[in-house]
Amino acid sequence: MASPMCVGTSILDTGARKAPAAGPAEAQAGVPGMFGLPNVANPAAFCSANLGCGYGTDHAQDIKFAKGTTTLAFKFQGGIIVSVDSRSTMGPYIASGTVKKVIEINPYLLGTMAGGAADCSFWERNLGIQCRMYELRNKERISVAAASKLLSNTMSQYRGYGLSMGTMVAGWDKTGPQLYYCDDDGTRLHGNLFSVGSGSTYAYGVLDTHYKYDMTDEEAIELGKRAIYHATHRDAYSGSINNVYIVKPTGWVKVHAGDVNDMHYKLAEEKAAIAASRAGAEEKAP
Amino acid sequence: MSILEYNGAAILAMTGKNCVGICSDSRLGNQAQTVATDFEKIFKMGDKLMVGLPGLATDVITMKELLTFRLNLYRLREEREIKPETFSALMSHILYQKRFGPYFVEPIVAGLKEDNTPFISAFDLIGAPVVTDDFVVGGTCTNNLYGMCESFYRPDMDKDELFETMAQCLLTSVDRDALSGWGGVVHIITPEGIMSKTLKGRQD
Amino acid sequence: MSELSNVAGAGQSVPADLREEVLSASTTNAGGGGFDFENHHRNARIAAELAKSGKEGTLPRAKLTGTTICGCIYKGGVVLGADTRATGGTEVVDKNCEKIHYLAPNIYCCGAGTAADTEKTTEMISGQLDLLRLSTGTQSRVVTACTMLKRMLFRYQGYVSAALVLGGVDVTGPHLYNIYPHGSSDKLPYLTMGSGSLAAMSVFETGFKEDMEEAEAVELVKQAIMAGVFNDLGSGSNVDVTVIRPGGETAIFRGLEKPNEVSELRKTVERPAAIKVPKGATEILASKFQPLSSLVTVEDAPQPMEI
Repeated sequence: MASPMCVGTSILDTGARKAPAAGPAEAQAGVPGMFGLPNVANPAAFCSANLGCGYGTDHAQDIKFAKGTTTLAFKFQGGIIVSVDSRSTMGPYIASGTVKKVIEINPYLLGTMAGGAADCSFWERNLGIQCRMYELRNKERISVAAASKLLSNTMSQYRGYGLSMGTMVAGWDKTGPQLYYCDDDGTRLHGNLFSVGSGSTYAYGVLDTHYKYDMTDEEAIELGKRAIYHATHRDAYSGSINNVYIVKPTGWVKVHAGDVNDMHYKLAEEKAAIAASRAGAEEKAP
Repeated sequence: MSILEYNGAAILAMTGKNCVGICSDSRLGNQAQTVATDFEKIFKMGDKLMVGLPGLATDVITMKELLTFRLNLYRLREEREIKPETFSALMSHILYQKRFGPYFVEPIVAGLKEDNTPFISAFDLIGAPVVTDDFVVGGTCTNNLYGMCESFYRPDMDKDELFETMAQCLLTSVDRDALSGWGGVVHIITPEGIMSKTLKGRQD
Repeated sequence: MSELSNVAGAGQSVPADLREEVLSASTTNAGGGGFDFENHHRNARIAAELAKSGKEGTLPRAKLTGTTICGCIYKGGVVLGADTRATGGTEVVDKNCEKIHYLAPNIYCCGAGTAADTEKTTEMISGQLDLLRLSTGTQSRVVTACTMLKRMLFRYQGYVSAALVLGGVDVTGPHLYNIYPHGSSDKLPYLTMGSGSLAAMSVFETGFKEDMEEAEAVELVKQAIMAGVFNDLGSGSNVDVTVIRPGGETAIFRGLEKPNEVSELRKTVERPAAIKVPKGATEILASKFQPLSSLVTVEDAPQPMEI
């Protein structure tokens, strides 16, 4: 077994304080979940107080994390649509506009990123490792249910340590298209439609209005784009590029990557054209 | 979060040759939620005088009303337009009077003096004046605006150059700030009048 | 103290009753002078609300002058010195602000602390000294200015955070005072104040001599401020010096030393073309021109023909 990554074992550590050779018992339980913890009396309390990552929790904290998001995913007759924005903020500062918030776990599994960017990318990469291990051990692909359960178990292990993650795990397995929502306090839900992040309420507004199970692929993709666009327009912490994926029996495909700002002005033009033609029609009618 | 960041704003004033400009973004937010994209933050205070009010929106409106009121009294008594220098002193006084219960605004004044040379000044929320001869900034992305202005500002720009420079400084700055943006407006004050232009900005 | 009352008072033609009306109408509390606490309760609730939602409960900070100011007495006169940096948090808000304030023709005062407080406190006392001179017909004394400043600062119990170095020459000779935000004071031949005071004091402690010549004293003060400019992060930019000579005559040296002047250097740098935005580069949605009102001529509308 590899030696645990703890304070004091790295060659870069100046060695002022040495951590115990191993982390807490729970951390050792599953090899992939092993994770270094600060060398203090109560690591959970310390992490929550100084390394908190949720919305509004790190404003007073010295360490600020990249976050802020609108992500959504829904099932429909043709599979699953996963659509996300790409803005990352640290406080009011826009740290990046080109974040890949859909994490490609393997050719049949997608995860989304909301909350702490580092927490999401680390643990979903970690999930990728666990899923590959499962494949090698069992000679078959892991089910979406099992994969999401692995992630949820990891989150439960670190419950109360201040991790911040709201993710949707989407994929296609023997049972068909499956969609799960997992978050940092260990919640794991199975459902047809989810949206996560600071802009999720706006996205839900659009999705609930226009969602139908019987949509064509084109209609579903358009709905995914629309919902993200409206969210980025209203939410200060969402924006930039909209990435859309579709999950099919043959695995996922990336179907769109476009600037939401271009979408705004294109929609504005369409709206103006419709209004103009309607006005013209009304004039003719009487 | 500071209460000055509750609604979001970005304002910039810059001097040119016989002209002066002041510009702002258009967003009115309620923290993360964008409520309006046509919110006015710059107000005309005279023929060649404008004031920008970044800060808490409720105080922006109150301050605008208060300034208009004091300005009308000045006009009645003096029967002339106020000078930018005098208006700055008035601004400083109004703010300092509320030293221990301030309005949450950090005003920016831009105008042309009697000899049509530019005048710009900025204040903190209790009225400490900063008078410079190049540019002043205010709002939720002052760091970004300072960075842009320090590299883009050139002395003695004409009114068209000043417009382009200010517009680019503003748009680029607010694209890196979550709380401001959603379009903007630039006012260029010249001895002939005020040219106002609405900018096409990112809508996210 | 209200600026409005000053304006109205200056205009002799304004009748007293109208003046009262204007004053009472100006703002709820402005007529009486002094501070207006109208927003205090609201602001306290905002702070409490912010604290409750787990966000930082502090209200915005005012601009500070992290400062080096100092003064020293020489043969019959006083030299005052200051740096010119004003900061807001870690940001340099003003690279060339004035920290040596006028109090009377023979008295000047350097200010450190909250920028607005030093500015307004000296402004107000300067006004009072002016009125006092008009009613007594005599030159202002430094001790009078000191007492007035002390009383004002003591009254506000340190909440008006102005730390001052007061210097001047009157009939009793040169005087130099330190006045602290709570209202206490020192009277010494050489003094420093502000965040750079330790750096500046080290220069005085090694270099001060009694009965120096003016040039010598100016040089010493300059070196003291430079020590602050280079060794204290809160201080910076230029050195301002004001000399009050034995007769009470003053000499103001604004930007006596500019060790951080970069404009010459900047001119020599070839700027990339991208810095110059080409005309028409910015997309515009609407444009409006409002001509100057004095340039607009209003002609009478054509009258309808009488039938």
